[in-house]
Amino acid sequence: MREQTLVPSFRRPPSKVVIRRVANYEQDLSTLIHESLSTFSLTVKDKTVLLKPNLVGLDPLGVMNTHSAVIAATRECFLRLGAAQVFVGDGPAMDRDTEAIIESVRLREYLGPLGNTFVDLNVDDVERIRLQTHASRLRELYLPKTALGVDLLVSMPKLKTHHWAGVTLSLKNMFGIVPGSCYGWPKNVLHWAGIDRAILDINAAARPDFAIVDGIVGMEGNGPVQGTPKGSGVLVFGNDPVAVDATCCRVMGLVPERVKYLSRAGTFLGHLQTNKIQQLGESIASVRTPFAVLPAFRTIAE
Amino acid sequence: MDLAWPLRLASDEMEAASETSFAEAICVPFLRNAQNADGGWGYHPKSESRVEPTCWALHALRGWSGETEALTRGFQYLRTAQLADGSWPSTPAEKTGCWVTSLSCWVLAQAADSSANVAAGLRWLCQDWPADTTPWRRFLAKFSSQRDVAPINNAYRGWSWTPGTSSWVEPTSFALIALEQGTPQSFPAEAAKRRELGEGLLYDRMCPGGGWNCGNPLVYGVPGEPLVVPTMCALLALRHQPSRRENVMSLDWLESAVATIQSAGSLALAKICIAAYGRDWPRNALVFQALYEKSGFLDSVQVAAWTSLALAAGSDWLDPAGAKAI
Repeated sequence: MREQTLVPSFRRPPSKVVIRRVANYEQDLSTLIHESLSTFSLTVKDKTVLLKPNLVGLDPLGVMNTHSAVIAATRECFLRLGAAQVFVGDGPAMDRDTEAIIESVRLREYLGPLGNTFVDLNVDDVERIRLQTHASRLRELYLPKTALGVDLLVSMPKLKTHHWAGVTLSLKNMFGIVPGSCYGWPKNVLHWAGIDRAILDINAAARPDFAIVDGIVGMEGNGPVQGTPKGSGVLVFGNDPVAVDATCCRVMGLVPERVKYLSRAGTFLGHLQTNKIQQLGESIASVRTPFAVLPAFRTIAE
Repeated sequence: MDLAWPLRLASDEMEAASETSFAEAICVPFLRNAQNADGGWGYHPKSESRVEPTCWALHALRGWSGETEALTRGFQYLRTAQLADGSWPSTPAEKTGCWVTSLSCWVLAQAADSSANVAAGLRWLCQDWPADTTPWRRFLAKFSSQRDVAPINNAYRGWSWTPGTSSWVEPTSFALIALEQGTPQSFPAEAAKRRELGEGLLYDRMCPGGGWNCGNPLVYGVPGEPLVVPTMCALLALRHQPSRRENVMSLDWLESAVATIQSAGSLALAKICIAAYGRDWPRNALVFQALYEKSGFLDSVQVAAWTSLALAAGSDWLDPAGAKAI
């Protein structure tokens, strides 16, 4: 069982974020991801790892979900680093036919047989977790045993705007661990609890140890499903999901301090301020690609 | 004279026989072996028993002879899992009932010695109102800045996934199917009104071109894409009006989508639905055995059950009048 200790941000050491420029999904992602992971002191040997991509819906064009090429290359890298097992798992929120989604993104072609690799978190065995934080009115959640039981939880979102939350990155991506078999499709109890607040509670209960954001092609406007593809040409890596999301916002031309849930996450889940984030790889300015947002989120744009 | 037709008929019969034997050789043993010692089924073999997969496995095994003991144990698991208020929880540790109550009522209505369980379940369903459409909420919604984001008629009220949340297509569909079970005398007084509101909600939430997704036909003016699973659920719940324009449009959409279905779960549910409306199964659909060889159905109890239901002859599990209690 992963131990979750909430640490106020002022007591956390600085976080590290790496931005890498990537032209397309046909590039040698494995080498690039391996190099990027090597800049972090990740203890992976003999550990179990869960890669949690963002699988939202049927997506033959690869613009809505984390691209399978990124997932497969990341899995290969963690195995090369000595991980005992690397699972890939998600619990799509809008469609209970997870197999249809993973077929639409050709995950099997990239990963090989999925039987011992892929976990549908919507229908995994669950465990009741009493929430330590009370950002929302939720007091407990049933969460999948696989997500709670691995040694290393890696959030792998797509770089997207979101019509309810402003942006959906590594923190919002954790909605996908909440099981549909308990809460439905969509997981409406989280909307009723307040999306921004629920994001905080879920991440406090199962904070990702690492984040890798697929921004090679992201989505702007009416995301996370009906938006417009937006090429940013980056992968963003980091050992602090808040710092990674804040950096992604800056790449998207958005102000992280104005994204409600991120601003609060910066007080207890990780670092928001640039002076607490060690920035490696490409500079934000060199990859900055402003994303269009819906009028309701005009205020989060720079 | 078309000399090809006898060959086509023979080929259809061979295909049907081969699919039935696939269900018998693969799906039924899989389900039999996946049953837990407590009589229930988990979502996967060796996982904890849960109400939903147990319901689907029971529907599936009812279609085959020689499964009496498995059925008896499964029904007993469901009766034991019922909460004191008549509802069923999604997972055994949970003390609050939810959407799976409809599934339990549906399958237990076809079992002996379960009428009291079903009646209590249906009572709970009729008292379980969604929270988004209370008069107070509807009043507040008039002033919400989000009121035009996903325009829906909130005079209709269906069922939610979990208590205290909004109506959605699938739980509403399952509740409507559950309310078809039993005898009119056993229905709670509110049943007729709930049915009327629930059906109204389903038609209100249909995607503009037919078919359903989880329940957002339009978001920011953009039509939602229909999906197979909610479309199947809604069409089964509304199948007493087969000629209604919305049903025909949605069935047309489902039929056209069959050629693109790449997963056994959706394929099985589409086949069940198209057969329930008496339409022919499109010839360009993938074959279950091929999908099984590719994915092993990802070890899913539900997919094995749905496939068995799609391939087994007869559909009395859908028809309360034709259902036989064991």
